[in-house]
Amino acid sequence: MSSSKRPMSPYMLGPYYKFQITSLLSILNRLTGVFMSVVSAPLLLCWLIALATGDVAFTGLSAWLGSILGKLVIAASVFSFSFHLFGGIRHLIWDAGWMMEMHQVNLSGWLAVIGSIVLTLIVMGAGL
Amino acid sequence: MNMQNPLAQVRGKGSSGGGSHHWRSQRYSALILLLLAPWVLTMGYTLAGADYAMAISVMSYPFNAGMVIMLAGTLFYHTQLGLQVVIEDYVHIPTLEFVLLLIVRLACLVAFLISAIAALKLALGA
Repeated sequence: MSSSKRPMSPYMLGPYYKFQITSLLSILNRLTGVFMSVVSAPLLLCWLIALATGDVAFTGLSAWLGSILGKLVIAASVFSFSFHLFGGIRHLIWDAGWMMEMHQVNLSGWLAVIGSIVLTLIVMGAGL
Repeated sequence: MNMQNPLAQVRGKGSSGGGSHHWRSQRYSALILLLLAPWVLTMGYTLAGADYAMAISVMSYPFNAGMVIMLAGTLFYHTQLGLQVVIEDYVHIPTLEFVLLLIVRLACLVAFLISAIAALKLALGA
């Protein structure tokens, strides 16, 4: 695609538009998906490889997961999982043609935010 | 199940060249991942802070090995579909776009193969 100098619409989350939860959650669903693709899924794969490799590799990875950085990565992964889960459920509901009115879209958005925070706290509190 | 418009079938595929296949694949894989979510959470709870022997014993169950392979297949397929959309949306240099899409496809395929082999190895106790 050749780079044209034609004017572009301002970015949806910039100072030009009124804050809307819909646009914020839209980009957040994508960001959590990309984060899990680049960080969480490879980490799960590493865990499986370490376990299949042997005691030394597994214990080494476990030690790193127990460090502050490891715990931070796990917490971010759990939140991404939770948010992408609820965000995905919203999309599937819309795909069925339900809850498309603006007040329903806003309500489901806030439910997804609250739900993902609660699920993250439960999972992290359960000892992860 | 074919949900394509008959006219679209006669003329070839949709404007994107892929019809609705990508969109439907993303939804079906999302549904399977949604069904797997309770098992994933249960595993996370069971294996949090587990030592080597404990983790080996959990992953040696045929049920768990099967679920790992199912999860890896669906997860990395969904990952490939999702990253593809992000790359197509934001990368506008054709060569770079092509290379990135190829890398994502290969990486997801390799990730699935390694997961499946690891799960089988753990299940068979090799």
